[in-house]
Amino acid sequence: MRTWTIGILSTVVIAVAIVAGLILIPTQAQSPGYRAPRLPGTEHPDLNGLWQALNTANWDIQDHSAQAGPLVALGAWGAQPAGMGVVEGGEIPYQEWALKKKQENFANRLRVDPDDFALGDPELKCYLPGVPRATYMSFPFQIIQSQNALLISYEYADASRIVHMSNPIKPPLDSWMGWSNGRWDGDTLVIDVTGLNDSTWFDRAGNFHSDALHVVERYTLVTPDRLQYEATIEDPKVFTRPWKISMPLYRHAEPNAQRLEFKCVEFTEELIYGSLKKKTN
Amino acid sequence: MDGFVPQSVDANAIRLGGERHRNVTLTAKKDCNQEVSMSGRRVWSVGLLAAVVAAAVLTSSVGGQSQSPTPAAQWPKTPWGDPDLQGTWNFGTITPLERPEKFGNREFLTPEEVAQLNKDSSERATAERRKELSAAEDVELAYNQFWWDRGSSTNRTSLIKDPPDGRLPLTPEGRAQRAAQNKRGFDTWADRSLSERCIVYRPVPVRSTGYNNNNVIVQAPGYVAMYQEQIHETRIIALDGRPHLGGKIRPWLGDSRGRWEGNTLVVETTNFNVKNVYEGSTGNRTVVERFAPIDAKTISYDFTVTDPAVYSRPWTGTMPWRKVTDEVFEYACHEGNYSMVHMLGGARVQEKQLAASPSGRVTRKR
Repeated sequence: MRTWTIGILSTVVIAVAIVAGLILIPTQAQSPGYRAPRLPGTEHPDLNGLWQALNTANWDIQDHSAQAGPLVALGAWGAQPAGMGVVEGGEIPYQEWALKKKQENFANRLRVDPDDFALGDPELKCYLPGVPRATYMSFPFQIIQSQNALLISYEYADASRIVHMSNPIKPPLDSWMGWSNGRWDGDTLVIDVTGLNDSTWFDRAGNFHSDALHVVERYTLVTPDRLQYEATIEDPKVFTRPWKISMPLYRHAEPNAQRLEFKCVEFTEELIYGSLKKKTN
Repeated sequence: MDGFVPQSVDANAIRLGGERHRNVTLTAKKDCNQEVSMSGRRVWSVGLLAAVVAAAVLTSSVGGQSQSPTPAAQWPKTPWGDPDLQGTWNFGTITPLERPEKFGNREFLTPEEVAQLNKDSSERATAERRKELSAAEDVELAYNQFWWDRGSSTNRTSLIKDPPDGRLPLTPEGRAQRAAQNKRGFDTWADRSLSERCIVYRPVPVRSTGYNNNNVIVQAPGYVAMYQEQIHETRIIALDGRPHLGGKIRPWLGDSRGRWEGNTLVVETTNFNVKNVYEGSTGNRTVVERFAPIDAKTISYDFTVTDPAVYSRPWTGTMPWRKVTDEVFEYACHEGNYSMVHMLGGARVQEKQLAASPSGRVTRKR
């Protein structure tokens, strides 16, 4: 009798747990039961804030060890920290020629030539970072979300993106930061990015793409201060199949948090134009 | 190009190698023109008082003259209760900052003068006009008329409305500094302007130039963000009353704090990078901008600049921002700044030619 009661009770408890579990299954990797605050006047989660990745993906989106930097003078300052990759499955599905090109990019990453703007890592020259690289540079970015518009302002190089929320528009031409059309998939902000040029890289390791790049980004607030970021990368000219990166982004919680300015052009002029300066004896 | 660089041309006019960049500007400009040409005919259907609407239509060539902001209660609000200034705004105008001397004490132009100035501006670089020009004069005009989007006259003789003479109240030091700031050379990139170097195109307060005079305002609770088409930066203005940054942090565009006075957004900016020179002043200026909505298509933009070292008193300018409905495009400037390479490279070639020339003169090849 007693055993039987316990058996029934256990079954009920397990059943309830399963049902509860089903309800709370972390769709979009959300913390169980977390419902993000809404932006006033809308049904959408409020993603406003100053966000930043806490990883080393800008060095290399794949697994990498700590290693000496390329400039002796910079000592430990310039060294690469170790980091686990952000590519799902680990490998980037390059076409054969493209893998060689990536290795070439890496070898040439510090080369600069005023007659060949395509040479070297665009970040070294303070060029616009493109998408998704802008997300995981070692700088914060601010999301400005209103009832009907959305703007992303990156501290690095003053890059900005207007996300077209109510009026999806075909990109009129290619650009560094591409053309962003946004929509809500439940509580997830989905940004479809096309019109990207072929001049940006994914990281300092020379990972690259062509002008056929298509990025679909997903931003989901999973806790008050954590924004889950996922980007699907598609580029049939360079990769054999679509692939994905993902990472958490963290909110700057300092009470005086502010997106500062990193207008880095000035820091690169000697590097880019130095050979064209008047020689003084 | 054989190394010759025209000495007096707007360097942007020879930034022709940047094809992507040029296409962006072309597309953007075309759309803006369509909008500007239509704005006077648009019927404005926001439910404001008919009298306000009538006033707005009557003064559609806004000059900051006889216009008062819309009463606060009637202006659209964001869901969180701030006045809603969102949208894409064009601040292009051909009215100069300082009053040309020929206008003496006159503050306003006649309608005929406004019409003539607008006509001259719209025909400045047309193919018809260029036929009569020498090659040098033609180069001065730079892009063709299709490219330009300068905006129109505000009907004032100067953007400066105070002091009443319409001129910058420069101290002797300010005058000397401004002259030094405007000096250009070709020895290094540092001899070129901040816009040619792709560092700052739109100072604070904003300055209208030949094209891309666009600013997109997006608001969020506690913030107003202003995305400037040139050079793709966003001014983020906190509204929560927090103090300015400490004096050691000096962004190129300064540090901005905002507040609402009725419908008017008042923004105070300090902490400018000392290298961000502006009309004689350096990093020590304080700028107070007032964005006052006049009607659904117009913000009155007033700006007061204070810097006792270079101005004998604060001075105030005014210009309209007009709403446009077209898209703003990416203005990538530094990414392939061919004009800097050509200017510096050209100057080095000239030096070599000069050194090799027995007459000490360089002959220009055609």
